[in-house]
Amino acid sequence: MQRSRMAIGIVGVALSGVVLTGCSSAPSLDEPSTTSGGPITLEYWAWNESQEQIVTAWNEAHPDIQVKHSDVGGGGDTSAKLVTSTRAGNAPDVALVEYNTLPAMIVAGVAADITEYTDGLSEEFAPGVWSQTTFDGATYGVPQDTGPQALNYNKARFDELGIDVPTTWEEFAEAAEKIHGADPNAYITTFAPAEFGGFAAFAQQAGAEWWTVDGDTWTVDIDGEESVAVAEYWQDLIDRDLVLAEPLLTPEWNASLNAGDILSWPAGIWAAGVLYGVGEQMEGDWALAPLPQWSAGDTAAAFQGGSGAIVTTSSKHPKEAAEFAAFMASAEVGQIQIDTGGYPASLAGQELTLESDPPALMANQGDYWKVAAEIASNTIPDLSWGPNVNVASSAFEDAMASAITNGTPLADALATTEEVVVDDMQSAGFEVEAD
Amino acid sequence: MTATAQTPVRTLRRARRRWVPPYLFLLPAGVLFIAFFAIPIVYAIYLSFRGLKVTGGGPFGVRQEVWVGFENYIKTFAEPEFLAGFGRLAIYGAFAVPLTLGLALLFALLLDLPRIRASRFSRTAIFIPYAVPGVIASLLWGFLYLPSTSPLNWILDKIGLPDVVMLSGGALYPAIANVAIWGGVGFNMIIIYTSLRGIPAEIYEAARIDGASEWTIAWRIKIPLVGPALVLTGLFSLIGTLQVYGEPTTLRPMTTEISQTWVPLMKIYRDAFARDDLSLAAASSVVLAIGTLVVSVILLRATQRKSFGGGE
Repeated sequence: MQRSRMAIGIVGVALSGVVLTGCSSAPSLDEPSTTSGGPITLEYWAWNESQEQIVTAWNEAHPDIQVKHSDVGGGGDTSAKLVTSTRAGNAPDVALVEYNTLPAMIVAGVAADITEYTDGLSEEFAPGVWSQTTFDGATYGVPQDTGPQALNYNKARFDELGIDVPTTWEEFAEAAEKIHGADPNAYITTFAPAEFGGFAAFAQQAGAEWWTVDGDTWTVDIDGEESVAVAEYWQDLIDRDLVLAEPLLTPEWNASLNAGDILSWPAGIWAAGVLYGVGEQMEGDWALAPLPQWSAGDTAAAFQGGSGAIVTTSSKHPKEAAEFAAFMASAEVGQIQIDTGGYPASLAGQELTLESDPPALMANQGDYWKVAAEIASNTIPDLSWGPNVNVASSAFEDAMASAITNGTPLADALATTEEVVVDDMQSAGFEVEAD
Repeated sequence: MTATAQTPVRTLRRARRRWVPPYLFLLPAGVLFIAFFAIPIVYAIYLSFRGLKVTGGGPFGVRQEVWVGFENYIKTFAEPEFLAGFGRLAIYGAFAVPLTLGLALLFALLLDLPRIRASRFSRTAIFIPYAVPGVIASLLWGFLYLPSTSPLNWILDKIGLPDVVMLSGGALYPAIANVAIWGGVGFNMIIIYTSLRGIPAEIYEAARIDGASEWTIAWRIKIPLVGPALVLTGLFSLIGTLQVYGEPTTLRPMTTEISQTWVPLMKIYRDAFARDDLSLAAASSVVLAIGTLVVSVILLRATQRKSFGGGE
């Protein structure tokens, strides 16, 4: 408390300094001009490594529409800030939003309907990708990157322990047993309670539909049969001490990862970049494989993550903003994303990947992009997220964490999550049914 | 004639001159107080009676702010997690408050002993953790707590003893309280120490002539005389406990045991920014602020008579 009081004091002093200097200096005259004729400036919020280059490329080609980029934090932070800044009327013109929070951005009045500016753009994307930003026939964004879920695994360690890459979840469990048997410090993977997106993708692969909409009525089914089966599958692995149940990317986890004790991460194919960020010394050791399936011979996988560029309702230049958003569909942006470790959403960008080098973490996998393209082409299209994924994700995280801590069934955590989600939608005034 | 005409003007001017300066001096503080304290409070109270409801209808109807009366306050009290947060706070406080105050008092008394050596160095050393920002302190301790990065566990490993797990089970509360204690002892010690230095030396001389030992002096003279400082630091620690946020939030990604609603302020943050329910967060904040005020008043009332000799 003393700390925060002191902080307030310091801020106060600093502010009074601002006020005083504000009085003495002349009013500034170099405000950017936004009158018609002159170049306009668009504010753009986005968080990944590709953005600086994308913006530079755009600004060079468009002297009349200059884009100013700010990184205000990852997907969760950005959407939280978008909501508050929209209430304050000063949201940026364009922002990157994760697919699963886009419905929440629509009902919060952040994302503007840009259907009229995006005519014909849908052909630049696979239908499953385009459907991530189109709701009820209205388009609210242009897809930028996607994250088909795949099995990212430490090939060097798999080879060392003589493990075959699992193609079904049953084989995955067997591999888990073998790995832990061969090396008691090693685990095939981690079940992290905070990984809402990861679990949702597992459940979607199994056939779950967490939110569906029929007319004006939402149906929420987070603890349906398929989701419960997924929860029970992981429960079994946790109970038998075959997977770690702890948060990801902590100093603790990173140390185990680098020690070769965590052998895989079923996650979006962006995972190679994330893992490389915390374990550069494993360069070339890892490889990409399709996600294990519930029944042999299937090929389906869901998206985990991925984001699109939206135009906000606060923008004074929606047409120009939509033009910049549409730039995300270009091959130029695709190439920048590939170079910086992303996986482009556009067909043009995805074609380019076939001529590119694999990411550093998986440098020795010659057919990396071929595998990636195959995984991407098998992604389940047409998934619908609800208007309060933010609520679901935060409820899921706490319910799962407490289930793991207290040893209660993970399936109960799903029921808790559904209850919170339905309550929230009801109190916001949606017509909703729990399934 | 000119003189009589000028006099009233001059007195008026003089009066105005006397009247204006205090307000001029008050102005910077006043403006800042109104802009950054009064207006936000009033706005928060206003927000606490509002809520977001879907208007327009449809599955993607945009939510708009409407008047909801006391709905948010009812929700605040109906939510078991908010109240459970106070329960966890109480356990945390049971470790943090007495230990912070006890250690601060102990160090202050030790530094105040006559013929103490390296007093200036020790004082600085004890105070320095307070200068480390809370978030950095939490990260630092977090690394020390996690099994693979903990030096203690490294040593235990080398001599073949089992790891100590700090961020789960029974050790969690002491582990978090420890971060706050480490940072807070120095600050509280300085307050108590300053108060000790203010005690006139004659009292000690008189006590020594009467044959009092250092222990008796500390127990019978020093501690009662620094009573007001103890009440002040106690109040700070209590309010600090009610406002715990930084330490558990920073440690949260490292363990599954700290939920997003672990303490009341964390729940308020989650409601406001993860759940986009600013109104509920505003109502809970108002409840927390009033609660803090009530507890502070009770504490001050209860200790006033004892410490300040009032009512005797």
